[in-house]
Amino acid sequence: MLMRRILAAFSVVALLIAAGHRAGAATSIRLVAAGAPQDSAAPTVTLPNRSDSLKFAVLGDFGTGDRPEYEVAAQMARLFARFKLELVVLVGDNLYGAERPQDFKRKFEVPYQPLLDAGVKFYAALGNHDARTQRDYKPFNMEGKLYYSFKAPKQRVRFFMLDSTYPVPVQIDWVEKELRDSSEDWKIAVFHHPLYSSGGRHGSDLKLRETLEPPFIRYNVSIVLTGHDHFYERIKPQHGIVHFVVGSGGRLAAGDIAKNSDITAKGFDTDQAFLVVEISGDEMYFNAISRAGQVVDSGMIRRRVPP
Amino acid sequence: MTYPTARSILSQLVVFGALTGACAPVARPGHPAEAQAVIAFEARVKEYLALHRKLESTLKKLPRRPTPEQVDRHQRALGDLIKSARRDAGRGEFFTPEMQTLVRRILGEVLSGPDGKTVKSSIMDENPGVPQLVLNERYPSSIPLSTMPPQVLAPLPKLPEELEYRFIGSRLILLDTHADIIVDFTNDIMPP
Repeated sequence: MLMRRILAAFSVVALLIAAGHRAGAATSIRLVAAGAPQDSAAPTVTLPNRSDSLKFAVLGDFGTGDRPEYEVAAQMARLFARFKLELVVLVGDNLYGAERPQDFKRKFEVPYQPLLDAGVKFYAALGNHDARTQRDYKPFNMEGKLYYSFKAPKQRVRFFMLDSTYPVPVQIDWVEKELRDSSEDWKIAVFHHPLYSSGGRHGSDLKLRETLEPPFIRYNVSIVLTGHDHFYERIKPQHGIVHFVVGSGGRLAAGDIAKNSDITAKGFDTDQAFLVVEISGDEMYFNAISRAGQVVDSGMIRRRVPP
Repeated sequence: MTYPTARSILSQLVVFGALTGACAPVARPGHPAEAQAVIAFEARVKEYLALHRKLESTLKKLPRRPTPEQVDRHQRALGDLIKSARRDAGRGEFFTPEMQTLVRRILGEVLSGPDGKTVKSSIMDENPGVPQLVLNERYPSSIPLSTMPPQVLAPLPKLPEELEYRFIGSRLILLDTHADIIVDFTNDIMPP
């Protein structure tokens, strides 16, 4: 029995499953990460779980303080037991309704306490439900700024956190310059309103797309992470860029993804979900995980390279 | 923080227009009434900003990484100070009739363009409005902030970081983002 436990604890099961999860033109390899404390309720992620990779989660439209938010948060905590996230990026709508001090506790600090206690850093973008003063909230790591960029602690990755509810010209100038001057291999844009979405309620923000997409294309952004529509959707690559809508962290618009949308690569609108990502070299592996702990989308994306 | 003049706004709009493909100058060249409205608006904003900063400087400075309690206290205290200092303020101090005419004209041009419907739906998304707005009161916590499309923001006079334009329903408001209070608001200004 003891021997079996030891073996279980130390065995890193690298279960190679045939490629078949394509995201764009990228080939994909699916591995089951294991070797961590056994927890039957923990989601079985299909990610490499390499020691030197950057691991992060993406969460959006979550701050309700209601049960679904707590259940998604619990899945994230279970995942963390075997998959050590370094950070979580928040795509906005971090707190719905009142934003009194007690709301920050009930809608954020309590549900994500296991991750916060473990030192996982959260980086927020603001959504249309978020008060501007969230920029000063220490756990959101915005350093008082409505838009900012930061370099990931591992790999050559930079996140560009934008304020899509108030895209003043000075911000557009800033992001253009910031993208141009960035030397990281991976450029990931994060903001609330999706440039591409098959949502019936909101859908694609075409005017924002007109403004942001040209610099994203010009300066090799590989990934765009958004929310606002309350479901999970991975968009087919647009001009080589893969867009994710992850507005499913607490609120849910069940059945809102247009069935005949020709931009959907994968959609999930029947339960809450979050996205977990691993970047290793030129490859980005991802799993979308439902509130019930099921992997509802997975694949691998290669970063864009300058022409 | 320096404050832009109407001339500098125009020059910035040319740059932004090149980026966005949309260039709608804040005031039409050779239209003295509009230029005058912008100058008056800018002067009023400058005056407000001086008051805001003076009052905020009397409060204990927030630490670099404040707690929600500290932010909330600071915000409410600043709101009270501003409300008290502006107790005689009336509607339309910023959005004068001339300024409202200008805003209405700008919105009309943007919203009657080929993408006008899209721009308007972006503004009205999750923006049900409220029956009554009160000057110097806190922004209603029950409603989200309206999205301001870049095509609408670009032609409006630039604001300092402490102030923002937002819509509540069809009314344009001026929001003090540090105090979370409504500094001024228009009547229904959105074209049908």
